Amino acid sequence: MDKSFYSIFKTFFKVGTLLLGGGYVILPLLQAELVDKKGWIDSDGLCEYYALGQSVPGIIAANMSIFVGYKLRGQIGALAAVLGIVTPAFLAIILVATMLEEIVHLNFIQSIFWGVGIGVILLVYLATKEMWNKSIVDKFTCVVFFAAFILSTCFQVSPALIIILSIISGIIYKKHIDAKPKKEDDK
Amino acid sequence: MIYLNLFIQFFHIGLFSFGGGYATLPFLYHIAENQQWYTIKQLTDMIAISSITPGPVGVNVATFAGFTTSGILGALVATTSVILPSYILVIIISKFLEQFETNQNVRAAIYALKPAGCGLLAAVAVDMFINNANLPGMFLLAILFFISLKQKHDPLFYLAVSALVGLFAGFLHLTA
Repeated sequence: MDKSFYSIFKTFFKVGTLLLGGGYVILPLLQAELVDKKGWIDSDGLCEYYALGQSVPGIIAANMSIFVGYKLRGQIGALAAVLGIVTPAFLAIILVATMLEEIVHLNFIQSIFWGVGIGVILLVYLATKEMWNKSIVDKFTCVVFFAAFILSTCFQVSPALIIILSIISGIIYKKHIDAKPKKEDDK
Repeated sequence: MIYLNLFIQFFHIGLFSFGGGYATLPFLYHIAENQQWYTIKQLTDMIAISSITPGPVGVNVATFAGFTTSGILGALVATTSVILPSYILVIIISKFLEQFETNQNVRAAIYALKPAGCGLLAAVAVDMFINNANLPGMFLLAILFFISLKQKHDPLFYLAVSALVGLFAGFLHLTA
């Protein structure tokens, strides 16, 4: 199979163009292009990269593309893949932003944005609910959730600091849990 | 100087946002409150726009924020900065894939990161809710909420419904 810079770029550009309405659709899109059409990687490999993409900071679609691109052709592949996935997004927004300056003052556009602003609240709520289902698995994670929530709403602590604190607390907590059964064995 | 500032802000979003999609939102919200680059209202518009344009939401909002603050070059700087930490980290992790996956500290960090990211997003949801607390808006939100309880829909569906209701409410002068 042809794994040139251009063909990797083109494949991810296509996926990037079809990537509408949030990152949930990236997996089926990559499945169709990379596994079914090109045969570059297998389905299990793709799922593994999906999981990995979520354990690295940043945008999952970009993380996944870089993982797959790197696997295909090293640094060149990674660069081709990430450029491919980002370029359609970049161009679309530049286009919309340019047009928006012309029309944003119109009354009916304002009305649409008023409605859509309410819709966005629901979308954020739904995204929170989905994250809750995936991440709140026990007492400790529940405590972390409320700690992050309160630090952010009541004390305006910066998100980055909250993330760092959560990492530290997670590592300490796990060390503590792992140490416990050993102590009981000593008795 | 604005470019350096854009680079720093968006690089740190790329470095600290975990969980994809809306995980970048708490950071963008924090920027809206602390820099004069865009307002919360503009950020909400941006989120809606990025849902109907191609590409990941995080990239869309970075491009948009960069563009509104300092044109095409700003857009380029913000977009590159938000992706750069991913690029560096993924390349490094690819080289040590097995160690990364089995490392106890990495697992512990991710275990605690996810609920923290969720808590941050919940804070944004509550804040957006309070900022929009007018009667017609809450009515629309309640309708959307009940639709979402009945059946799962695509994000585009909710945005289309709320855009139509907004248009209608505009004619009745309810949106002020």
